[in-house]
Amino acid sequence: MSDREAPFFIGWAAMPPGLRWFMGGIALGLILFLAGIAYVTAATQDDPGQGAFVGRANATGILQAEPYPILHVTESADFALGSALLLTGGGKRGVQGRAAGLDGALVAVSGARIARGDIAALQLRGGEAGLKALEQAAITPPAVQDLGRWRISGEICDGKCYAGAMRPGRGLAHKACANLCLIGGIPPVLVATDKIDGTEFFLLAGPDGGPVTDQILDHVGLLIELEGQVQRHGGMAVLRLDPETLKVIP
Amino acid sequence: MSDRYIPVQWNANKWLYDGVLLIACAAYILVFLRLGAPAADLTRPVDGAILRMRAFGSCAFFMLSVILCIGPLARLDRRFLPLLYNRRHFGVITALVALTHAVYVLNWYYAFSPTDPMVALLGANTSYGQILGFPFETLGIVALLILAVLAATSHDFWLSFLGPPLWKALHLLIYLAYGCVVAHVALGYLQDSKNPAFALLFGLSALAVAGLHLAAWAKAPRKSRGSGEWIAVAAPHEIADGRAKILPMPDGKRAAVFRDGDRIGALSNACAHQNGPLGEGRVIDGCVTCPWHGFQYRLEDGCSPPPFTEKVPTYNLRLRDGVIEIATKPNAPGTPATPLQIAEAAHV
Ligand code: FES
Repeated sequence: MSDREAPFFIGWAAMPPGLRWFMGGIALGLILFLAGIAYVTAATQDDPGQGAFVGRANATGILQAEPYPILHVTESADFALGSALLLTGGGKRGVQGRAAGLDGALVAVSGARIARGDIAALQLRGGEAGLKALEQAAITPPAVQDLGRWRISGEICDGKCYAGAMRPGRGLAHKACANLCLIGGIPPVLVATDKIDGTEFFLLAGPDGGPVTDQILDHVGLLIELEGQVQRHGGMAVLRLDPETLKVIP
Repeated sequence: MSDRYIPVQWNANKWLYDGVLLIACAAYILVFLRLGAPAADLTRPVDGAILRMRAFGSCAFFMLSVILCIGPLARLDRRFLPLLYNRRHFGVITALVALTHAVYVLNWYYAFSPTDPMVALLGANTSYGQILGFPFETLGIVALLILAVLAATSHDFWLSFLGPPLWKALHLLIYLAYGCVVAHVALGYLQDSKNPAFALLFGLSALAVAGLHLAAWAKAPRKSRGSGEWIAVAAPHEIADGRAKILPMPDGKRAAVFRDGDRIGALSNACAHQNGPLGEGRVIDGCVTCPWHGFQYRLEDGCSPPPFTEKVPTYNLRLRDGVIEIATKPNAPGTPATPLQIAEAAHV
Protein backbone atom coordinates (compact mmCIF):
# COMPACT_ATOMS: atom_id res chain seq x y z
CA MET A 1 0.00 0.00 0.00
CA SER A 2 1.52 3.33 -0.96
CA ASP A 3 1.56 5.97 1.69
CA ARG A 4 -0.99 8.05 -0.15
CA GLU A 5 -3.50 5.26 0.16
CA ALA A 6 -2.90 4.28 3.79
CA PRO A 7 -6.14 5.01 5.64
CA PHE A 8 -6.23 8.45 7.24
CA PHE A 9 -9.09 9.60 9.37
CA ILE A 10 -10.46 13.10 9.07
CA GLY A 11 -13.17 13.89 11.58
CA TRP A 12 -15.44 15.69 9.15
CA ALA A 13 -15.11 13.14 6.36
CA ALA A 14 -16.34 9.57 6.16
CA MET A 15 -14.10 7.03 7.86
CA PRO A 16 -11.85 5.03 5.51
CA PRO A 17 -13.01 1.39 5.31
CA GLY A 18 -9.83 -0.12 6.73
CA LEU A 19 -10.06 2.07 9.79
CA ARG A 20 -13.75 1.39 10.15
CA TRP A 21 -13.03 -2.22 11.14
CA PHE A 22 -10.24 -1.19 13.45
CA MET A 23 -12.44 1.38 15.17
CA GLY A 24 -15.33 -1.07 15.37
CA GLY A 25 -13.00 -3.47 17.14
CA ILE A 26 -11.86 -0.74 19.53
CA ALA A 27 -15.45 0.27 20.29
CA LEU A 28 -16.46 -3.29 21.03
CA GLY A 29 -13.26 -3.85 22.97
CA LEU A 30 -13.86 -0.76 25.11
CA ILE A 31 -17.40 -1.84 25.96
CA LEU A 32 -16.34 -5.39 26.83
CA PHE A 33 -13.29 -4.17 28.74
CA LEU A 34 -15.31 -1.78 30.90
CA ALA A 35 -18.06 -4.36 31.46
CA GLY A 36 -15.43 -6.93 32.43
CA ILE A 37 -13.65 -4.79 34.99
CA ALA A 38 -17.01 -3.64 36.35
CA TYR A 39 -17.90 -7.26 36.99
CA VAL A 40 -14.60 -8.10 38.64
CA THR A 41 -14.57 -4.92 40.75
CA ALA A 42 -18.13 -5.46 41.95
CA ALA A 43 -17.92 -9.19 42.51
CA THR A 44 -14.79 -9.00 44.65
CA GLN A 45 -16.06 -6.45 47.17
CA ASP A 46 -15.35 -7.24 50.79
CA ASP A 47 -18.08 -8.58 53.02
CA PRO A 48 -19.45 -5.73 55.17
CA GLY A 49 -20.49 -8.26 57.81
CA GLN A 50 -23.83 -9.17 59.27
CA GLY A 51 -24.63 -5.92 61.09
CA ALA A 52 -27.99 -4.37 60.21
CA PHE A 53 -31.12 -2.65 61.45
CA VAL A 54 -33.25 -5.50 62.73
CA GLY A 55 -36.62 -4.00 63.57
CA ARG A 56 -38.15 -2.26 66.57
CA ALA A 57 -37.24 -3.13 70.13
CA ASN A 58 -38.10 -2.03 73.66
CA ALA A 59 -36.33 -2.37 76.96
CA THR A 60 -36.31 -1.17 80.50
CA GLY A 61 -33.08 -0.63 82.30
CA ILE A 62 -30.61 1.59 84.09
CA LEU A 63 -29.22 4.46 82.10
CA GLN A 64 -25.52 5.26 82.32
CA ALA A 65 -24.72 8.67 80.86
CA GLU A 66 -20.92 8.58 80.96
CA PRO A 67 -18.72 8.19 79.00
CA TYR A 68 -21.53 7.86 76.45
CA PRO A 69 -25.17 7.00 77.05
CA ILE A 70 -25.76 3.27 77.40
CA LEU A 71 -28.51 1.18 78.91
CA HIS A 72 -28.10 -1.79 81.25
CA VAL A 73 -31.12 -3.94 80.44
CA THR A 74 -33.19 -5.09 83.44
CA GLU A 75 -36.30 -6.13 81.59
CA SER A 76 -36.96 -6.73 77.92
CA ALA A 77 -38.57 -9.12 75.51
CA ASP A 78 -35.95 -8.23 72.91
CA PHE A 79 -32.64 -8.13 74.77
CA ALA A 80 -30.98 -10.46 77.26
CA LEU A 81 -31.15 -9.32 80.87
CA GLY A 82 -27.89 -7.78 81.97
CA SER A 83 -26.83 -6.94 78.43
CA ALA A 84 -25.92 -3.36 77.60
CA LEU A 85 -27.03 -1.22 74.65
CA LEU A 86 -25.37 1.76 73.00
CA LEU A 87 -27.98 4.51 72.76
CA THR A 88 -28.09 6.83 69.75
CA GLY A 89 -30.39 9.38 68.20
CA GLY A 90 -31.48 9.53 64.59
CA GLY A 91 -28.79 9.85 61.93
CA LYS A 92 -25.43 11.02 63.22
CA ARG A 93 -26.74 12.29 66.54
CA GLY A 94 -26.04 11.15 70.04
CA VAL A 95 -28.55 11.33 72.90
CA GLN A 96 -26.34 13.07 75.46
CA GLY A 97 -28.87 15.90 75.78
CA ARG A 98 -31.76 13.56 76.44
CA ALA A 99 -29.77 11.38 78.82
CA ALA A 100 -28.49 14.28 80.89
CA GLY A 101 -29.96 14.17 84.38
CA LEU A 102 -31.01 10.54 83.97
CA ASP A 103 -27.70 8.96 84.93
CA GLY A 104 -28.43 5.98 87.17
CA ALA A 105 -32.19 6.28 86.65
CA LEU A 106 -34.50 3.51 85.61
CA VAL A 107 -35.78 4.27 82.12
CA ALA A 108 -37.89 2.75 79.37
CA VAL A 109 -36.41 2.94 75.88
CA SER A 110 -37.82 2.13 72.48
CA GLY A 111 -36.46 2.41 68.98
CA ALA A 112 -34.77 0.73 66.04
CA ARG A 113 -32.44 -2.08 66.98
CA ILE A 114 -29.04 -2.33 65.31
CA ALA A 115 -27.15 -5.53 65.92
CA ARG A 116 -23.87 -7.12 64.94
CA GLY A 117 -22.60 -10.07 66.94
CA ASP A 118 -22.13 -9.03 70.56
CA ILE A 119 -22.65 -5.36 69.88
CA ALA A 120 -26.14 -3.94 70.13
CA ALA A 121 -27.33 -0.39 69.69
CA LEU A 122 -30.71 1.21 69.88
CA GLN A 123 -31.66 4.26 67.82
CA LEU A 124 -34.18 5.92 70.10
CA ARG A 125 -37.51 7.20 68.88
CA GLY A 126 -38.26 10.86 69.44
CA GLY A 127 -39.48 12.27 72.73
CA GLU A 128 -40.92 10.25 75.61
CA ALA A 129 -41.78 7.39 73.28
CA GLY A 130 -38.06 6.78 72.87
CA LEU A 131 -36.72 7.54 76.34
CA LYS A 132 -38.75 7.95 79.48
CA ALA A 133 -37.74 7.95 83.14
CA LEU A 134 -39.66 5.47 85.29
CA GLU A 135 -40.62 5.92 88.93
CA GLN A 136 -38.71 3.43 91.04
CA ALA A 137 -37.36 3.46 94.53
CA ALA A 138 -33.81 2.21 95.02
CA ILE A 139 -31.97 0.71 92.07
CA THR A 140 -28.39 -0.35 92.04
CA PRO A 141 -26.33 0.25 88.91
CA PRO A 142 -24.25 -2.76 87.88
CA ALA A 143 -20.96 -3.14 89.70
CA VAL A 144 -17.77 -1.98 88.02
CA GLN A 145 -15.10 -4.64 87.73
CA ASP A 146 -11.55 -3.61 86.95
CA LEU A 147 -9.59 -5.83 84.55
CA GLY A 148 -6.35 -3.89 84.72
CA ARG A 149 -4.23 -2.06 82.19
CA TRP A 150 -3.95 -3.49 78.68
CA ARG A 151 -2.23 -2.73 75.39
CA ILE A 152 -4.75 -3.47 72.66
CA SER A 153 -4.67 -3.23 68.87
CA GLY A 154 -7.77 -2.73 66.76
CA GLU A 155 -9.87 -0.14 65.01
CA ILE A 156 -11.83 2.74 66.48
CA CYS A 157 -15.28 2.88 64.91
CA ASP A 158 -18.45 4.76 65.57
CA GLY A 159 -20.65 2.33 67.43
CA LYS A 160 -23.71 2.95 65.33
CA CYS A 161 -22.31 2.49 61.81
CA TYR A 162 -20.17 -0.42 62.92
CA ALA A 163 -23.14 -2.15 64.55
CA GLY A 164 -24.84 -2.09 61.16
CA ALA A 165 -26.35 1.32 60.48
CA MET A 166 -24.07 1.41 57.43
CA ARG A 167 -22.70 -1.51 55.48
CA PRO A 168 -19.76 -1.29 55.47
CA GLY A 169 -19.53 0.96 58.51
CA ARG A 170 -15.82 0.75 59.24
CA GLY A 171 -12.50 1.25 57.53
CA LEU A 172 -10.65 4.13 55.96
CA ALA A 173 -13.08 4.90 53.16
CA HIS A 174 -15.65 5.40 55.90
CA LYS A 175 -13.38 7.42 58.20
CA ALA A 176 -14.82 10.89 57.58
CA CYS A 177 -18.33 9.51 58.00
CA ALA A 178 -17.34 7.86 61.29
CA ASN A 179 -15.70 11.07 62.50
CA LEU A 180 -18.88 12.94 61.70
CA CYS A 181 -20.91 10.43 63.72
CA LEU A 182 -18.54 10.73 66.66
CA ILE A 183 -18.60 14.52 66.51
CA GLY A 184 -22.39 14.27 66.53
CA GLY A 185 -22.24 12.30 69.81
CA ILE A 186 -22.37 8.66 68.69
CA PRO A 187 -20.41 6.42 71.14
CA PRO A 188 -16.96 5.37 69.85
CA VAL A 189 -16.02 1.71 70.17
CA LEU A 190 -12.75 -0.11 69.81
CA VAL A 191 -13.08 -3.28 67.76
CA ALA A 192 -10.09 -5.26 69.02
CA THR A 193 -8.01 -7.55 66.85
CA ASP A 194 -7.83 -10.13 69.66
CA LYS A 195 -10.40 -10.76 72.33
CA ILE A 196 -9.65 -9.70 75.88
CA ASP A 197 -11.40 -11.66 78.58
CA GLY A 198 -13.81 -12.88 75.88
CA THR A 199 -14.64 -9.40 74.65
CA GLU A 200 -14.04 -7.90 71.25
CA PHE A 201 -15.81 -4.52 71.61
CA PHE A 202 -14.94 -1.79 74.03
CA LEU A 203 -16.79 1.41 74.62
CA LEU A 204 -14.10 4.09 74.74
CA ALA A 205 -13.71 6.58 77.56
CA GLY A 206 -11.13 9.13 78.59
CA PRO A 207 -8.71 8.47 81.46
CA ASP A 208 -11.24 10.05 83.84
CA GLY A 209 -14.13 7.94 82.55
CA GLY A 210 -15.66 10.84 80.58
CA PRO A 211 -16.07 11.24 76.80
CA VAL A 212 -12.92 11.08 74.68
CA THR A 213 -14.13 11.93 71.15
CA ASP A 214 -11.86 14.94 70.53
CA GLN A 215 -8.67 13.02 71.23
CA ILE A 216 -9.31 10.08 68.95
CA LEU A 217 -10.50 11.62 65.66
CA ASP A 218 -7.13 11.30 63.92
CA HIS A 219 -7.06 7.58 64.71
CA VAL A 220 -10.53 6.52 63.65
CA GLY A 221 -10.84 3.87 60.93
CA LEU A 222 -7.20 2.79 61.12
CA LEU A 223 -5.41 -0.17 62.57
CA ILE A 224 -4.10 1.33 65.79
CA GLU A 225 -2.59 0.36 69.09
CA LEU A 226 -3.44 1.91 72.41
CA GLU A 227 -3.17 1.35 76.14
CA GLY A 228 -5.75 1.79 78.82
CA GLN A 229 -7.65 0.52 81.78
CA VAL A 230 -10.27 -2.13 80.95
CA GLN A 231 -13.40 -2.23 83.09
CA ARG A 232 -16.63 -4.12 83.00
CA HIS A 233 -19.73 -2.06 83.61
CA GLY A 234 -22.31 -4.85 83.77
CA GLY A 235 -22.64 -6.12 80.22
CA MET A 236 -20.45 -3.42 78.68
CA ALA A 237 -16.66 -3.46 78.48
CA VAL A 238 -15.33 0.06 78.82
CA LEU A 239 -11.79 1.03 77.91
CA ARG A 240 -10.43 4.11 79.64
CA LEU A 241 -7.81 4.85 77.09
CA ASP A 242 -4.66 6.80 77.59
CA PRO A 243 -4.68 9.15 74.52
CA GLU A 244 -0.88 9.55 74.74
CA THR A 245 -0.41 5.90 73.82
CA LEU A 246 -2.50 6.00 70.61
CA LYS A 247 -0.45 5.09 67.60
CA VAL A 248 -1.08 3.95 64.06
CA ILE A 249 0.22 0.49 63.20
CA PRO A 250 1.83 0.84 59.79
CA MET B 1 -13.97 24.99 11.93
CA SER B 2 -13.59 28.62 12.80
CA ASP B 3 -16.28 30.40 10.82
CA ARG B 4 -18.82 30.41 13.64
CA TYR B 5 -19.49 28.76 16.98
CA ILE B 6 -22.48 26.58 17.47
CA PRO B 7 -22.85 24.60 20.71
CA VAL B 8 -21.33 21.47 19.25
CA GLN B 9 -20.70 20.81 15.61
CA TRP B 10 -22.18 17.38 15.30
CA ASN B 11 -21.38 14.94 12.56
CA ALA B 12 -21.84 11.21 12.07
CA ASN B 13 -18.47 10.33 13.57
CA LYS B 14 -19.13 12.31 16.73
CA TRP B 15 -22.54 10.70 17.17
CA LEU B 16 -20.97 7.30 16.82
CA TYR B 17 -18.14 8.14 19.19
CA ASP B 18 -20.45 9.49 21.87
CA GLY B 19 -22.86 6.61 21.38
CA VAL B 20 -20.13 4.07 22.00
CA LEU B 21 -18.95 5.99 25.08
CA LEU B 22 -22.41 6.15 26.59
CA ILE B 23 -23.00 2.47 25.92
CA ALA B 24 -19.64 1.55 27.48
CA CYS B 25 -20.38 3.73 30.49
CA ALA B 26 -23.89 2.33 30.94
CA ALA B 27 -22.51 -1.19 30.52
CA TYR B 28 -20.03 -0.54 33.33
CA ILE B 29 -22.63 0.75 35.78
CA LEU B 30 -25.25 -1.88 34.94
CA VAL B 31 -22.84 -4.80 35.05
CA PHE B 32 -21.43 -3.49 38.33
CA LEU B 33 -24.80 -3.08 40.04
CA ARG B 34 -26.83 -5.88 38.46
CA LEU B 35 -24.37 -8.66 37.76
CA GLY B 36 -21.16 -8.10 39.70
CA ALA B 37 -22.51 -6.96 43.08
CA PRO B 38 -25.05 -9.82 43.43
CA ALA B 39 -22.25 -12.27 42.62
CA ALA B 40 -20.10 -11.06 45.52
CA ASP B 41 -19.89 -13.38 48.50
CA LEU B 42 -21.51 -11.23 51.21
CA THR B 43 -23.36 -11.98 54.44
CA ARG B 44 -25.63 -9.02 53.79
CA PRO B 45 -25.62 -6.67 50.79
CA VAL B 46 -23.55 -3.49 50.77
CA ASP B 47 -25.69 -0.33 51.18
CA GLY B 48 -27.19 0.75 47.86
CA ALA B 49 -25.68 4.22 48.08
CA ILE B 50 -22.22 2.84 48.85
CA LEU B 51 -22.54 0.38 45.98
CA ARG B 52 -23.40 3.22 43.61
CA MET B 53 -20.58 5.45 44.81
CA ARG B 54 -18.22 2.54 44.19
CA ALA B 55 -19.70 1.89 40.75
CA PHE B 56 -19.51 5.49 39.56
CA GLY B 57 -16.19 6.19 41.26
CA SER B 58 -14.40 3.20 39.77
CA CYS B 59 -16.03 3.85 36.40
CA ALA B 60 -14.69 7.42 36.37
CA PHE B 61 -11.21 6.18 37.27
CA PHE B 62 -11.09 3.59 34.50
CA MET B 63 -12.54 6.01 31.95
CA LEU B 64 -9.96 8.63 32.86
CA SER B 65 -7.23 6.02 32.47
CA VAL B 66 -8.50 5.15 29.01
CA ILE B 67 -8.64 8.84 28.04
CA LEU B 68 -5.05 9.35 29.08
CA CYS B 69 -3.93 6.31 27.08
CA ILE B 70 -5.38 7.68 23.84
CA GLY B 71 -2.77 10.41 23.33
CA PRO B 72 0.34 8.21 23.55
CA LEU B 73 -1.39 5.35 21.72
CA ALA B 74 -2.09 7.63 18.77
CA ARG B 75 1.57 8.67 18.72
CA LEU B 76 2.73 5.07 18.78
CA ASP B 77 0.20 3.75 16.28
CA ARG B 78 -1.53 6.14 13.92
CA ARG B 79 -4.61 3.96 13.63
CA PHE B 80 -5.65 5.20 17.07
CA LEU B 81 -5.80 8.79 15.86
CA PRO B 82 -9.59 8.82 15.35
CA LEU B 83 -9.96 8.32 19.12
CA LEU B 84 -8.37 11.71 19.65
CA TYR B 85 -10.90 13.38 17.44
CA ASN B 86 -13.64 13.59 20.00
CA ARG B 87 -11.66 13.01 23.16
CA ARG B 88 -13.24 16.06 24.77
CA HIS B 89 -16.64 14.42 24.83
CA PHE B 90 -15.00 11.47 26.56
CA GLY B 91 -13.71 13.90 29.16
CA VAL B 92 -17.07 15.58 29.65
CA ILE B 93 -18.82 12.23 30.16
CA THR B 94 -16.13 11.18 32.64
CA ALA B 95 -16.57 14.43 34.58
CA LEU B 96 -20.30 13.71 34.83
CA VAL B 97 -19.66 10.16 36.06
CA ALA B 98 -17.23 11.50 38.68
CA LEU B 99 -19.77 14.11 39.74
CA THR B 100 -22.41 11.40 40.23
CA HIS B 101 -19.94 9.54 42.46
CA ALA B 102 -19.40 12.69 44.53
CA VAL B 103 -23.11 13.33 44.89
CA TYR B 104 -23.68 9.82 46.25
CA VAL B 105 -20.84 10.29 48.72
CA LEU B 106 -22.14 13.65 49.86
CA ASN B 107 -25.70 12.39 50.25
CA TRP B 108 -24.68 9.35 52.22
CA TYR B 109 -21.49 9.73 54.23
CA TYR B 110 -22.08 13.42 54.89
CA ALA B 111 -25.84 13.37 55.30
CA PHE B 112 -27.99 12.59 58.36
CA SER B 113 -25.83 14.83 60.48
CA PRO B 114 -26.40 18.04 62.42
CA THR B 115 -23.38 19.44 60.54
CA ASP B 116 -23.94 20.96 57.10
CA PRO B 117 -22.74 18.44 54.47
CA MET B 118 -20.34 20.91 52.83
CA VAL B 119 -18.83 21.90 56.17
CA ALA B 120 -18.61 18.24 57.11
CA LEU B 121 -16.94 17.38 53.81
CA LEU B 122 -14.04 19.68 54.61
CA GLY B 123 -14.08 19.46 58.39
CA ALA B 124 -14.96 15.91 59.45
CA ASN B 125 -11.50 14.55 58.82
CA THR B 126 -8.57 16.91 59.16
CA SER B 127 -5.74 14.41 59.60
CA TYR B 128 -3.61 16.09 56.91
CA GLY B 129 -0.45 15.26 58.80
CA GLN B 130 -0.64 11.52 58.26
CA ILE B 131 -0.62 9.25 55.22
CA LEU B 132 -2.93 6.56 56.56
CA GLY B 133 -6.12 8.35 57.44
CA PHE B 134 -5.29 11.34 55.21
CA PRO B 135 -8.52 13.07 54.13
CA PHE B 136 -8.38 11.51 50.68
CA GLU B 137 -11.73 13.10 49.89
CA THR B 138 -9.90 16.40 49.38
CA LEU B 139 -7.84 14.84 46.60
CA GLY B 140 -11.05 13.70 44.96
CA ILE B 141 -12.49 17.21 45.23
CA VAL B 142 -9.42 18.73 43.58
CA ALA B 143 -9.65 16.21 40.74
CA LEU B 144 -13.36 16.81 40.31
CA LEU B 145 -12.88 20.58 40.20
CA ILE B 146 -10.21 20.20 37.53
CA LEU B 147 -12.41 17.87 35.50
CA ALA B 148 -15.26 20.36 35.81
CA VAL B 149 -13.13 23.27 34.63
CA LEU B 150 -11.76 21.25 31.74
CA ALA B 151 -15.22 20.06 30.76
CA ALA B 152 -16.57 23.60 30.93
CA THR B 153 -13.73 24.97 28.78
CA SER B 154 -13.64 22.07 26.36
CA HIS B 155 -15.61 23.93 23.71
CA ASP B 156 -13.81 25.63 20.82
CA PHE B 157 -15.13 28.95 22.03
CA TRP B 158 -12.75 28.76 25.00
CA LEU B 159 -10.00 27.52 22.77
CA SER B 160 -10.12 30.66 20.67
CA PHE B 161 -10.88 32.86 23.67
CA LEU B 162 -7.83 31.68 25.62
CA GLY B 163 -5.65 30.93 22.60
CA PRO B 164 -4.28 27.43 21.85
CA PRO B 165 -1.11 27.59 23.98
CA LEU B 166 -2.92 28.71 27.13
CA TRP B 167 -5.82 26.36 26.46
CA LYS B 168 -3.47 23.47 26.01
CA ALA B 169 -1.52 24.37 29.14
CA LEU B 170 -4.78 24.54 31.08
CA HIS B 171 -5.83 21.17 29.76
CA LEU B 172 -2.54 19.61 30.82
CA LEU B 173 -4.02 19.90 34.31
CA ILE B 174 -5.69 16.59 33.45
CA TYR B 175 -2.45 14.96 34.59
CA LEU B 176 -2.68 16.65 37.98
CA ALA B 177 -6.28 15.47 38.17
CA TYR B 178 -5.24 11.91 37.36
CA GLY B 179 -2.51 12.02 39.98
CA CYS B 180 -5.04 13.21 42.55
CA VAL B 181 -7.48 10.47 41.56
CA VAL B 182 -4.80 7.79 41.88
CA ALA B 183 -3.88 9.08 45.35
CA HIS B 184 -7.58 9.43 46.24
CA VAL B 185 -8.19 5.76 45.48
CA ALA B 186 -4.89 4.54 46.91
CA LEU B 187 -5.43 6.29 50.25
CA GLY B 188 -9.14 5.53 50.39
CA TYR B 189 -10.86 2.48 49.00
CA LEU B 190 -7.66 0.57 48.36
CA GLN B 191 -6.75 0.70 52.06
CA ASP B 192 -10.02 -0.97 52.97
CA SER B 193 -10.30 -3.58 50.34
CA LYS B 194 -8.80 -6.90 51.33
CA ASN B 195 -9.50 -8.51 47.99
CA PRO B 196 -6.56 -7.91 45.62
CA ALA B 197 -8.62 -7.93 42.39
CA PHE B 198 -9.42 -4.25 42.33
CA ALA B 199 -5.94 -3.30 43.52
CA LEU B 200 -4.55 -5.23 40.58
CA LEU B 201 -6.85 -3.59 38.01
CA PHE B 202 -6.13 -0.21 39.56
CA GLY B 203 -2.36 -0.68 39.49
CA LEU B 204 -2.36 -2.02 35.93
CA SER B 205 -4.41 0.94 34.71
CA ALA B 206 -2.12 3.49 36.30
CA LEU B 207 0.93 1.62 34.98
CA ALA B 208 -0.54 1.51 31.47
CA VAL B 209 -1.02 5.27 31.52
CA ALA B 210 2.52 5.87 32.75
CA GLY B 211 4.09 3.26 30.48
CA LEU B 212 2.42 4.45 27.30
CA HIS B 213 3.45 8.02 28.03
CA LEU B 214 7.05 6.95 28.54
CA ALA B 215 7.00 4.92 25.33
CA ALA B 216 5.59 7.83 23.31
CA TRP B 217 8.07 10.21 24.90
CA ALA B 218 10.97 7.93 24.03
CA LYS B 219 9.80 7.87 20.42
CA ALA B 220 9.54 11.63 19.95
CA PRO B 221 12.50 13.49 18.41
CA ARG B 222 13.88 15.91 20.95
CA LYS B 223 17.32 17.21 20.11
CA SER B 224 17.79 19.83 17.44
CA ARG B 225 20.51 18.90 14.98
CA GLY B 226 21.99 22.33 14.46
CA SER B 227 21.83 25.91 15.51
CA GLY B 228 22.96 27.95 12.51
CA GLU B 229 20.55 29.74 10.21
CA TRP B 230 19.84 26.61 8.22
CA ILE B 231 19.50 22.99 9.32
CA ALA B 232 19.69 19.94 7.10
CA VAL B 233 16.42 18.03 6.92
CA ALA B 234 16.78 15.05 4.58
CA ALA B 235 17.03 14.16 0.94
CA PRO B 236 13.68 14.86 -0.77
CA HIS B 237 12.89 11.20 -1.43
CA GLU B 238 13.38 10.32 2.23
CA ILE B 239 10.08 12.03 2.98
CA ALA B 240 7.13 9.84 2.00
CA ASP B 241 4.66 11.37 -0.41
CA GLY B 242 1.86 13.18 1.43
CA ARG B 243 3.68 12.86 4.73
CA ALA B 244 6.07 14.95 6.77
CA LYS B 245 9.28 14.74 8.65
CA ILE B 246 9.09 16.38 12.08
CA LEU B 247 12.13 18.35 13.12
CA PRO B 248 13.02 19.79 16.52
CA MET B 249 14.17 23.38 16.03
CA PRO B 250 16.76 25.26 18.07
CA ASP B 251 14.05 27.46 19.62
CA GLY B 252 12.43 24.38 21.16
CA LYS B 253 9.50 24.35 18.73
CA ARG B 254 9.02 21.79 16.00
CA ALA B 255 8.74 22.13 12.25
CA ALA B 256 7.03 19.71 9.88
CA VAL B 257 8.50 19.35 6.39
CA PHE B 258 5.90 17.91 3.99
CA ARG B 259 6.17 16.37 0.56
CA ASP B 260 3.19 16.67 -1.75
CA GLY B 261 4.25 14.96 -4.97
CA ASP B 262 7.08 17.15 -6.27
CA ARG B 263 6.47 20.03 -3.91
CA ILE B 264 8.15 20.31 -0.53
CA GLY B 265 6.99 22.84 2.05
CA ALA B 266 7.42 23.42 5.77
CA LEU B 267 4.96 24.53 8.43
CA SER B 268 5.07 24.76 12.18
CA ASN B 269 4.21 21.38 13.66
CA ALA B 270 1.63 22.90 16.01
CA CYS B 271 -1.91 23.14 14.71
CA ALA B 272 -3.63 26.48 15.36
CA HIS B 273 -6.62 24.62 16.71
CA GLN B 274 -5.37 22.66 19.73
CA ASN B 275 -1.67 22.40 18.99
CA GLY B 276 -2.23 19.03 17.34
CA PRO B 277 0.85 17.50 15.64
CA LEU B 278 0.43 18.64 12.02
CA GLY B 279 3.48 16.64 10.99
CA GLU B 280 1.62 13.46 11.87
CA GLY B 281 -1.13 14.42 9.44
CA ARG B 282 -1.30 14.15 5.64
CA VAL B 283 -1.34 16.40 2.63
CA ILE B 284 -4.80 16.11 1.11
CA ASP B 285 -5.69 18.11 -2.03
CA GLY B 286 -2.64 20.28 -1.53
CA CYS B 287 -3.53 21.03 2.10
CA VAL B 288 -1.81 19.79 5.21
CA THR B 289 -4.55 18.10 7.25
CA CYS B 290 -4.28 17.89 11.03
CA PRO B 291 -4.59 14.36 12.38
CA TRP B 292 -6.58 15.48 15.38
CA HIS B 293 -9.66 17.27 14.11
CA GLY B 294 -8.96 17.71 10.43
CA PHE B 295 -8.14 21.45 10.25
CA GLN B 296 -6.35 22.17 6.96
CA TYR B 297 -3.56 24.53 5.95
CA ARG B 298 -2.20 25.30 2.48
CA LEU B 299 1.33 24.04 2.05
CA GLU B 300 2.46 27.28 0.40
CA ASP B 301 1.38 29.81 3.04
CA GLY B 302 0.09 28.00 6.16
CA CYS B 303 -3.37 29.52 5.77
CA SER B 304 -6.60 27.54 6.04
CA PRO B 305 -8.49 27.63 2.75
CA PRO B 306 -11.40 30.12 2.78
CA PRO B 307 -13.80 30.57 4.47
CA PHE B 308 -11.56 29.52 7.35
CA THR B 309 -9.05 31.90 8.83
CA GLU B 310 -6.56 29.83 10.86
CA LYS B 311 -2.88 30.43 10.15
CA VAL B 312 0.28 28.66 11.21
CA PRO B 313 3.90 29.81 10.77
CA THR B 314 5.77 28.70 7.65
CA TYR B 315 9.50 28.02 7.21
CA ASN B 316 11.71 28.83 4.24
CA LEU B 317 13.41 25.87 2.59
CA ARG B 318 16.35 25.49 0.22
CA LEU B 319 18.07 22.61 -1.53
CA ARG B 320 21.84 22.17 -0.98
CA ASP B 321 23.74 19.27 -2.53
CA GLY B 322 20.54 17.26 -2.85
CA VAL B 323 19.61 17.83 0.80
CA ILE B 324 16.68 19.95 1.95
CA GLU B 325 17.63 22.62 4.46
CA ILE B 326 15.22 24.56 6.61
CA ALA B 327 15.56 28.09 7.96
CA THR B 328 15.80 28.01 11.74
CA LYS B 329 13.61 31.08 12.09
CA PRO B 330 9.91 30.60 11.32
CA ASN B 331 7.98 33.13 9.27
CA ALA B 332 5.00 34.87 10.83
CA PRO B 333 1.83 32.75 10.61
CA GLY B 334 0.33 32.80 7.14
CA THR B 335 3.48 34.11 5.37
CA PRO B 336 3.84 32.63 1.89
CA ALA B 337 7.00 30.52 1.47
CA THR B 338 7.29 29.07 -2.00
CA PRO B 339 7.54 25.27 -1.81
CA LEU B 340 10.65 23.65 -3.30
CA GLN B 341 10.12 21.94 -6.62
CA ILE B 342 11.98 18.67 -6.78
CA ALA B 343 12.71 16.56 -9.81
CA GLU B 344 10.16 13.89 -10.72
CA ALA B 345 12.97 11.38 -10.48
CA ALA B 346 13.00 11.83 -6.75
CA HIS B 347 9.63 10.10 -6.51
CA VAL B 348 9.49 6.64 -5.06
S1 FES C 1 -5.56 20.28 16.86
FE1 FES C 1 -7.61 20.16 16.32
S2 FES C 1 -7.46 20.16 14.20
FE2 FES C 1 -5.46 20.34 14.74
